[in-house]
Amino acid sequence: MKPRVIIGTVAIVIFTSLLMWNFGNSIGSYVGFEDAELSGNRVHVIGKWVQDKPHGFDNERMVFTFYMQDETGEVRRVSYNRPKPNNFEDAESLVVVGTMRNGVLFSDDMLVKCPSKYNDASNLEISMN
Amino acid sequence: MIGIIGSAALVLAFVASLGAFALYFFATQKNNPKLEKIGHVLFGLKGALVFFASALLVYLLITNQFQYFYVYNYTSSDLSLVYLWAAFYSGQEGSFLLWILCGYLVGMGLIKWTGDTYRSPVMFFLTLTQVFLLSMVIGVTIFGVHIGASPFRLTSAEFAHLPVFLSNPDFIPAEGSGLNDLLRSPWIIIHPPVIFLGFAMMAVPFAFALASLWKRKYHEWIYPALPWTLGANLCLLIAIFLGGYWAYETLSFGGYWAWDPVENASLVPWILGMAGIHTMLIQKRSKIAHKASIIFAILAYVTIVYQTFLTRSGVLGDASVHSFVDLGLYNQLLLFIVAVSVSGIILYAVRMKEIPSQKKEMPVFSREFFMFSGAMTLLIVSLVIIIGTSAPLIGKLFVANPTPPQPQFYNDWTLPFGLAIAVLTVMTQYLWWNKYKDTESFAGSLLTPTLSASFISVALIIVAQVSTILYMVYIFIAVFSIIGNGIVMSKLVKKNPKMIGGSVTHIGFAVLLIGFLGAAYDSPMLDRNTINYNAAVERGEVIDDDGFPVHQTLEVMKLDINQPRRVNDEYYVTFTDATISHENRPGEQRYRIEFEHVRSGKKFDVNPVVYPMIANSTAGNMSWTVDPEVQMGLLRDIYVYVSNSSMVERESSRVQTESSFQAVADRLMNGYEQSLTPEVNNLVRLKPGASRNLGQYKIEFDRFINMAEEDLPENAVVGVQASIKITNSQTRQTESVAPMYAILYNDGRNTVQSPVVELENFDFDLMFETIDTTTDEAHFRLIGIEDYIEDEWIIIAIEKKPLVSVVWLGTFLLMFGFSIAIYRRWGDQRVRTKQERHYGDV
Repeated sequence: MKPRVIIGTVAIVIFTSLLMWNFGNSIGSYVGFEDAELSGNRVHVIGKWVQDKPHGFDNERMVFTFYMQDETGEVRRVSYNRPKPNNFEDAESLVVVGTMRNGVLFSDDMLVKCPSKYNDASNLEISMN
Repeated sequence: MIGIIGSAALVLAFVASLGAFALYFFATQKNNPKLEKIGHVLFGLKGALVFFASALLVYLLITNQFQYFYVYNYTSSDLSLVYLWAAFYSGQEGSFLLWILCGYLVGMGLIKWTGDTYRSPVMFFLTLTQVFLLSMVIGVTIFGVHIGASPFRLTSAEFAHLPVFLSNPDFIPAEGSGLNDLLRSPWIIIHPPVIFLGFAMMAVPFAFALASLWKRKYHEWIYPALPWTLGANLCLLIAIFLGGYWAYETLSFGGYWAWDPVENASLVPWILGMAGIHTMLIQKRSKIAHKASIIFAILAYVTIVYQTFLTRSGVLGDASVHSFVDLGLYNQLLLFIVAVSVSGIILYAVRMKEIPSQKKEMPVFSREFFMFSGAMTLLIVSLVIIIGTSAPLIGKLFVANPTPPQPQFYNDWTLPFGLAIAVLTVMTQYLWWNKYKDTESFAGSLLTPTLSASFISVALIIVAQVSTILYMVYIFIAVFSIIGNGIVMSKLVKKNPKMIGGSVTHIGFAVLLIGFLGAAYDSPMLDRNTINYNAAVERGEVIDDDGFPVHQTLEVMKLDINQPRRVNDEYYVTFTDATISHENRPGEQRYRIEFEHVRSGKKFDVNPVVYPMIANSTAGNMSWTVDPEVQMGLLRDIYVYVSNSSMVERESSRVQTESSFQAVADRLMNGYEQSLTPEVNNLVRLKPGASRNLGQYKIEFDRFINMAEEDLPENAVVGVQASIKITNSQTRQTESVAPMYAILYNDGRNTVQSPVVELENFDFDLMFETIDTTTDEAHFRLIGIEDYIEDEWIIIAIEKKPLVSVVWLGTFLLMFGFSIAIYRRWGDQRVRTKQERHYGDV
């Protein structure tokens, strides 16, 4: 084998393993509130906004708080240190990134999943009433 | 009825494309121009049918025919004509139609301009993509298998399970669910069509590469493919730019790039297209790198299909802000990827031995070597992005429910390669346009750019106070690349301006790199109090009500009207005005924020907007949406949005009682003036020594002054004066007065005399109304103060974003460079085709 090929192969192997190692470290796992509390790390929690519980921007503390129900059905308060994101009310689901402490998810990053509209029949349900 | 015709047109178009597909196959196999001609006719027919079906869909959209699901789902009767048109491609089905239409235009261009050698196989592969894309929208069931989702589906079929349709199958919804307000922006008119034009054009190098394998003509295909690839890349670049600008300026995503899978979906094909362009150039100049050109041309299109699969099949799910839901197209999309990749792999494998390959190894100091290394680096970058984007699939190797990687992953693994490419561009450009006797003379010629780059970057590093070594290296390389390519460009301009495409593009790329660095210095701009608070949070000194340390720092602050705040020790920021403008939507609010530079005193205004989004689908459920405003600067942007305000709170409580869409809109449109005047009770009750604030005014009641006999009015039984001081806390203006309260006895009756005191310094009056003997409080009425009280505040986020303009500049340079290159290559290609027609097949 030519030395160039050997060097190339070794370089590719090292590169790929470094890349995949770093990739593995930079991804997390979606968890529910209970696991989030247990781990204490920065986590992604998927859930839905609980509309009938209090929510809003606290003008004193400058945080947006609301209640969210995760996929296992647990409901917890979320404290988001930015203003309410656009499309929040219409979101089909939320992905909240943060750390859980004392039953509250403290978040600094939120992904608002726009309504798929695919099964949006709310208008039709209203027109019935 | 229209729906049936439309669906039928799409099915016929699908059949026609299958026919064309078969005809092109035999035409290629048997070298039969007659079959090819019929193929063209069928291809044209297919296009006409798709045009017709699209026109019908647009007609249904603009006439608000909500019995059609697509119309119901993406429009409502309040949408203006342009947005009804844009709704055509707002959904998956329509965007497939748009893609097919673009593919049709590209196909017609290929039929017209492609020489005889490749025309029929190229059309064969282009039609292959059209067959698959059409299959996504036909919506028919064959042998129990449902194929595609038709844009002409009926609402009643879609929601057949709902009671309203069970009781009355002919029910037609009176209103649609509307277009998301965030999409109601002029950008939606231009952004998607450009993307799909780019996607469609990227099929051309793919088709040419496969055609070259089929026809065993491995060299000539690059001449026609080159301008098309450049065109596709230009379209993708414009689309990426438009998307980034849209996200930054109006969608308040906070930045121009977020490594979202949908963004990556157009970036990866762009990078691979770029690699392909470079290997084609090597092939053109040196008759080597045939294999690489073919592979890149195939890969660029395969990644388009792969990323389409990722974003449209529902696999990404929660990973992306704007991925689509699964329309039941998962298997079809998968089949599409398999078809394009397998046809590429098989053809390549079959012909691999025949494809010309160079006999001896490339010398290290050759333009081919550097250019090839650049193309390979581009390949690595695109692989990194593909791995990142595929996290929901690949991540399963590591964790159970993988999230997308953090942006840091992408930054770490792409920017170093970007720097490598920046260096390679200079090497290649020098070697490409000059002849060097040995490496020594080559190194010598690089001395000028190296030295000048050193001086300039040192100056930049000092001026910008860069303290990170990595960033210093970064700056040096980017500056080196700008200067190196700049020198080459200045020489070329003199020779032949048509040839500067490459160097302009490379300069644009290096400028982009400089711009990207700015993102590392993005920072919120805050006032002293907030900065101190954040510092305390960082030190762990802030404790919340429950006794736990607070970890969240603040990124927004409150501004009271007309009260300047010193922000970042750089600007005085004052919120001066808020109006309801109704400009684009009912109830839209425009704020005026004044910035004054602390040292230079230079002033400018920023006018962010907040608007109520009245979601039709959730009538009465109004939400406030922010539209940021950017104060653009050469070196930094100031990005401002208002996240809450007294006006927003008043307006929401005013419309809260309304439940229907129309009522909310009406109420927002009308009667807002009353709400602008805060309801102020102008009566102040005070004990001696007490004070109270009314808005910005402070009213201090010092003491009662007993009146001397001679000062009392006639017939007075008793009289007292009050010592009052009024201060405007903003202007610091004060006035002290002593209004009187006296009881008179006239004609056997008691009357009160309390004359109105006109204030000299303020535009309102004061009256000592009465004394409450039970509480010992004096009542003062400040007549007219309600017109002057400014109890207005906003919660504002201000961010400093350095070098965003430099990013735009880099992008424009890239676009300009691409355009020059297209002009040049297209010209070359026209000349070649004419010669070919003249002298027969080359």
